[in-house]
Amino acid sequence: MKSQYVDTIKKEFKEFVIGDPALVNETYLTLKKDTNVMAYVDAIRKEFGGLITGEAVLRNEVYLTIKKEANVKICDYLYHQFNTPLVSIFATDERKTDGHFKVHYVFSCDREDAFIILKINIEEKSPQYRSITSTIPVANWYEREIQDMFGLVPQGHPDPRHLIHFEDWETGLYPLRKDFDIRTKPKRVKGEYVYRRVDGEGVYEIPVGPVHAGVIEPGHFRFSVAGEPILNLEIRHFYTHKGVEKLFENIPFDKAVFLAERISGDNSVAHAVAFCQAIEKIAGVEIPPRAKYIRTILLEHERLYNHLGDIAGIATDVAFAFGAAQANMLKEDLLQLNEYVTGSRLLRGMNTIGGVRRDIGDNKDKILLKLSTFQQEFRKLMELLMETPSVVDRIETTGRIYNDIAKELHVVGPAGRASGIDRDTRRDHPYAAYRELNFKVQAHKSGDVYARTRVRADEVHESIAIIEQALWSLPEGAIKNEVKEIPDGFALGYTEAPRGETIYWVRTEGGRIERCKVRDPSFCNWLAIEYAVLDNIVPDFPIINKSLSLSYSGNDM
Amino acid sequence: MLEILKRRFRTGIVTTGYPAVPDIAPPGFRGKPELSGDRCTYCGDCVSACPPGVISLEKVNGEEKLTLSYCGCIFCGRCEEVCPYGAVKLTQEYELASKTKDDLQTIIRRKT
Repeated sequence: MKSQYVDTIKKEFKEFVIGDPALVNETYLTLKKDTNVMAYVDAIRKEFGGLITGEAVLRNEVYLTIKKEANVKICDYLYHQFNTPLVSIFATDERKTDGHFKVHYVFSCDREDAFIILKINIEEKSPQYRSITSTIPVANWYEREIQDMFGLVPQGHPDPRHLIHFEDWETGLYPLRKDFDIRTKPKRVKGEYVYRRVDGEGVYEIPVGPVHAGVIEPGHFRFSVAGEPILNLEIRHFYTHKGVEKLFENIPFDKAVFLAERISGDNSVAHAVAFCQAIEKIAGVEIPPRAKYIRTILLEHERLYNHLGDIAGIATDVAFAFGAAQANMLKEDLLQLNEYVTGSRLLRGMNTIGGVRRDIGDNKDKILLKLSTFQQEFRKLMELLMETPSVVDRIETTGRIYNDIAKELHVVGPAGRASGIDRDTRRDHPYAAYRELNFKVQAHKSGDVYARTRVRADEVHESIAIIEQALWSLPEGAIKNEVKEIPDGFALGYTEAPRGETIYWVRTEGGRIERCKVRDPSFCNWLAIEYAVLDNIVPDFPIINKSLSLSYSGNDM
Repeated sequence: MLEILKRRFRTGIVTTGYPAVPDIAPPGFRGKPELSGDRCTYCGDCVSACPPGVISLEKVNGEEKLTLSYCGCIFCGRCEEVCPYGAVKLTQEYELASKTKDDLQTIIRRKT
């Protein structure tokens, strides 16, 4: 059965397989029992045969080039018929090669551990394509991002305002086009941004930010309220857009790892690993087993201190200072452990293409000991929080995101799992050593701040269990495989960051990065806050915000 | 309430005496990189490896000058990793705050 599939793929798509045909992952096919990602592709082929103009299979990524006019139909089919979440949309400028811009729609087939990527070609002289946002709301921000960065217009988009460019940005300048020089200093022009308005008797607007009271990054929140309950919230971000994706195209691979690490400061391991995995996939390099385990341990360490920080933040925002202090104390213990084990409190500088840079094996006993005391203390902390009425009263039913909304908006990570979305990249698309370890994905249903706190607390225990398993079965051997040459190619890299699914798509050409698309979990989750706050009172906004744990930096890349 | 008070007393004081009592970073800490004038051959490997580009090599008036600025240093340790002579080492030093930019530089030089 399995070899039949492999042979079919090899035979039928020979000309579409880029690189070594042996790269068509046989182990991936062995994992499939009755269902297979090719079944999805077969179905699309049957339904839309004439509209598919090219196919390529690379490991667990199936690329289908479809006719530009068919994008709405086929995306809709794939998304609604097969329930495959749309995890990223990005454009590339390939005018140099074939005179086209390309827009890629990445769908995740969770059950198959595979991705289907639909591609459309867009000609330079008519830079337009049909928007899919009305059928698949997830596409909203992506399409507006592509509009600003590449100048490709999504026709029929319900909200065609600028997303990333501000009103003082010159029209006709698209930073991610290849002919835009990285040193360009655009002049400022006059313009206006129109916010949505809610009118009515007794309706007031409360503008908050972009500069906030705490030491946090900038973002604008515009509330429309009638009394205390919030009728509407509109957020505006990208105040500190740094052009990270452009920067990637201008630095060598070894330096790019450090850039990825700094995209979202407290999710640095997840970003670095996702980037490294994409490059390793392109290079066809398998990292040593020991490196896989070390990466897993680091990723879970990162989850631990992030979740503790979030729990501490929720305690602060419900004015339970004692609980917050206790949680922060535990977080500090974890940060010190990080520092002891890796030399960096935020676990930086550990990953590299081909493996990890430092071994952590000698510290096994220390980590195990620390974590066991930590776990006891953490249990007590959660008992304290969940038995304090002033905490529970504030977080139960607050900031509810219903399952259908969460699904429509593709809410990821703990926030999604708290709304009953049973997805976790660690299980659905196993990477590093997750395939060999046992863990449960914690999902709750109520979708309120309480559920998000609970999911995090449960995940803390799972993380500790994962670290313990990984340390006990840590294989011996090298921690790094030398990656000498990185061939031309493209691949996805993905991890489950503490905030949720993080996706990289990297294309290499001539020994450098041609395009690197980063999809941080916050890019998805920010939109959820506009829904989560509805009918809640203004004083509950900080708690809802904290419970979603949103990153400005990861969003404003 | 009683439970909170009990916990409060059990927790005791957790803050340290820093800065009155020095707080020494653990070995392997990614702190201030230091240059060794004796070992350095001015080959420039660290200059090209440095991700934020804060190491520079200049040749002026028959003198070679290697400057490392801590202003933009990200303490990644690439310089230490690529140096074939062990002339750069990350140390446990982390108290780098200063009032002038000049204090945030370390310079080694030799006559050519």
